[in-house]
Amino acid sequence: MTALLEVRHATRRFSGLVAVDDVSFTLAPGEILGLIGPNGAGKTTLISLISGTLAPSEGEVLFQGETITKVPAYQRARLGIGRTFQIMRPFPGLSVLDNVAVGALFGRGGGQPKLAMAREQARACLDFVGLGRNASQRADELGGPGRKRLELAKALAMQPKVLLCDEVMAGLNHVEIEEVIAVIRKVRDQGISVLVIEHVIKAIKSLSDRLLVLHHGEKIADGVPSEVLENATVVEAYLGKRRT
Amino acid sequence: MKALRPALIVVAVALLAALPWFGSDTLIQFGINTLLLAVLAQGWNIIGGYTGYASFGNSVFYGLGSYGVAIAMVQWHLPFAVGLVFGVGLGIVFACSLGVAVLRLKGHYFAIATLALAEVMTAIVSNVKLAGQNVGLVLPPLNNDRLFYELALGLLVLATLTIFWLTRSRFGFGLIAIRENEEGAAVMGVNTTLYKVLAFTLAGIFSALAGGIHAYWITFLDPESAFDISLNVKMIIMAVFGGPGTVLGPIVGAFSLSAVSEILSSEVTSIAGLFFGVVIVAAIVLMPRGLADIVRNVPKSGWRYFRQNIRAHRL
Amino acid sequence: MGLLAQILVNGILLGGLYAVMALGLALVWGVLNIVNLAHGAFIMLGAYASWYLYTDAHIDPFLGLPITAGVMFGLGYLLQRGLLNLVVRAPMFNTLLITFGLEVVLTYLAQLAFSADFRTINPPYAGDSWQLGPVTLPVARSAAFVVAIVLSLGMWLFLLHTRLGRAIRATAQNLVAARLYGVEPRHLYAMTFGLGIALAAAAGGLYGTVSQINPYIGASLTAKSFAISIIGGLDNPLGVIVGGLFLGVVESLTTLYIGPTFADVASFGILLLVLIVRPSGLLGRTA
Repeated sequence: MTALLEVRHATRRFSGLVAVDDVSFTLAPGEILGLIGPNGAGKTTLISLISGTLAPSEGEVLFQGETITKVPAYQRARLGIGRTFQIMRPFPGLSVLDNVAVGALFGRGGGQPKLAMAREQARACLDFVGLGRNASQRADELGGPGRKRLELAKALAMQPKVLLCDEVMAGLNHVEIEEVIAVIRKVRDQGISVLVIEHVIKAIKSLSDRLLVLHHGEKIADGVPSEVLENATVVEAYLGKRRT
Repeated sequence: MKALRPALIVVAVALLAALPWFGSDTLIQFGINTLLLAVLAQGWNIIGGYTGYASFGNSVFYGLGSYGVAIAMVQWHLPFAVGLVFGVGLGIVFACSLGVAVLRLKGHYFAIATLALAEVMTAIVSNVKLAGQNVGLVLPPLNNDRLFYELALGLLVLATLTIFWLTRSRFGFGLIAIRENEEGAAVMGVNTTLYKVLAFTLAGIFSALAGGIHAYWITFLDPESAFDISLNVKMIIMAVFGGPGTVLGPIVGAFSLSAVSEILSSEVTSIAGLFFGVVIVAAIVLMPRGLADIVRNVPKSGWRYFRQNIRAHRL
Repeated sequence: MGLLAQILVNGILLGGLYAVMALGLALVWGVLNIVNLAHGAFIMLGAYASWYLYTDAHIDPFLGLPITAGVMFGLGYLLQRGLLNLVVRAPMFNTLLITFGLEVVLTYLAQLAFSADFRTINPPYAGDSWQLGPVTLPVARSAAFVVAIVLSLGMWLFLLHTRLGRAIRATAQNLVAARLYGVEPRHLYAMTFGLGIALAAAAGGLYGTVSQINPYIGASLTAKSFAISIIGGLDNPLGVIVGGLFLGVVESLTTLYIGPTFADVASFGILLLVLIVRPSGLLGRTA
């Protein structure tokens, strides 16, 4: 079974600082891959390399077997790569419904040309994430948790094959986190692969099929959650060296 | 109530169209100027209001449209309509060739680049023989103000219908997405470069058409007046005063500001310009989102609306 | 050969004046995020102030610069405190429009007060010049150049080495940081804008000694200051000096070799090129 998404030896430098250092991994269809690591490990940069927002200094990105390293961001969206942003970016002047409708209008395959149809699809996505009641509100009137769900809904409206989630659980309480986990599982059940960046270890442990750990831009572990979290290097990365 | 609105608009357009038969000559001339300014404001609305790229270069399209008509009619003896098409063609070439480079810039850098473009074009055209260089060109006269009035009105209706279409089309949504959050739009599948150039070109086409009509109407043009940079600011002020990113805002802005300016000019000549300046300053402080926003919010919030604007933007 | 040298010298002298003209604009733009379209109008006012000081009070235009600058500093401070501080946190485009409105108001007031005729400041040494080998150095222009360079370097040192200067630079990065320096932000903003206007006024005083003034010179001077600021780069206070000199030389060369009507094409054409190829300017940090 060919990997849906493959990253080969991706490196990204920012005038002297190496944000992502020779990272390689694959994402299979229908898989939930968790991406963890301390702050500044390069997780968001890696996601940006996949979504096309940034270009790698070295390395390749492949989607469905085809190299997409030079493909611009909007075309990757049309191929089926969707992402949410850690620093949330709703379209503030538009309603919640219309925010999501943009995704439906421009998503996979170029999206839906008719506005009315796009709004219908948007409504369905809002219901899916639990924002159905807020459809006619202005996007900037939503609170933090609402905005996280809006980000998800926007990405889902694009009908992606891969969903890149950047810290959709940050700042949420236990109940809200459980709800987001449920939504992500529903997303996977639809056949969409998900790459989830998260800091809430407990949540990502139960959610992910596999875990990938980044530290100082390098991949330091890749495997089943229970094993990865026992890994000494990973523990050290988060907690620092033990004083002997 | 909602069904009443289109009916009101149709009535307003009909009244405007009938004006040349009831108004004095000065009124008709004022009408032509105002209608053309409204077209320019609407054109700017497409690139500045909806796409969020505040262009200070629409005067270039206006000038190209003017010169297109002038050169076609004076040098090649072609009819007016062909001249208009030529002018639009020049505008499209300009938008597509320089637009891509300039639209890569963000925010005020884009504004300044378009301003620089405008300055450069003025200087270049002053040196082109075909365009009559510094002296300019004189067009064959056509003494039919009513015709020009109706042409201008028709163009305004066309521009406004285009914007109305924008608000309900995939293209328009893409533009708004670019305005609200360009990177977010790209990641959702919007071809931002293509859309920006299209918006810029569309705005340019309307500006060029307005320039062409204006040139034939006043029968004379030279580089200074055709590529008049102050036109840029006028159209922006009118669009912003009326409400950028709305369908009717720029029209309201153009009509109201022109009317005020005209009244003041006839009453106290030199104060008119001064008043304009004061109005702009006051408007930016009190109503930065334009009249359209006032109409939307003041019924709800009353005077608090203005205080809220200040509070949101002060240091 | 002698002609080329003269042209280059002319360009450099002009460039110094250009540099100090743009300095105030770059300062206000870089620090306060205010795109001041009225900048040229303040240059114009400074020129008139110098003119009146010279014509009515017989104060030499160069010696009178501190007075002009001081008065205009006060005007700038009040403007920022009373008006511009109200729109500082609005989208930058709004500062563009509000300063445009100011420009219209100032130009009209100037026209009412001073009438539209052309004036020059003509101190007795206005026509004199020094001879340096094959090159002629007009006294007024050379003095203007020296003052301009002194002001620009002084500004650079001020920003780098004084407490207030550092606070101003910190504000450009981060408003909270400025508060940590113990300066109240509204006051700091007003000081910065006042400084920018004082520099513009000083530039105006210098301008008046080498060129004619009338109420309408504001707009083109603003445009030129923009070009210089961007070409030189807004990050580095020295950028304006580089930008000014560069533009002065380019304009002089263009006037000689291509034609005077092309001087503007050259300046704005270069501005365009810089914006497209290297928006951070010649001295900018990152491409």
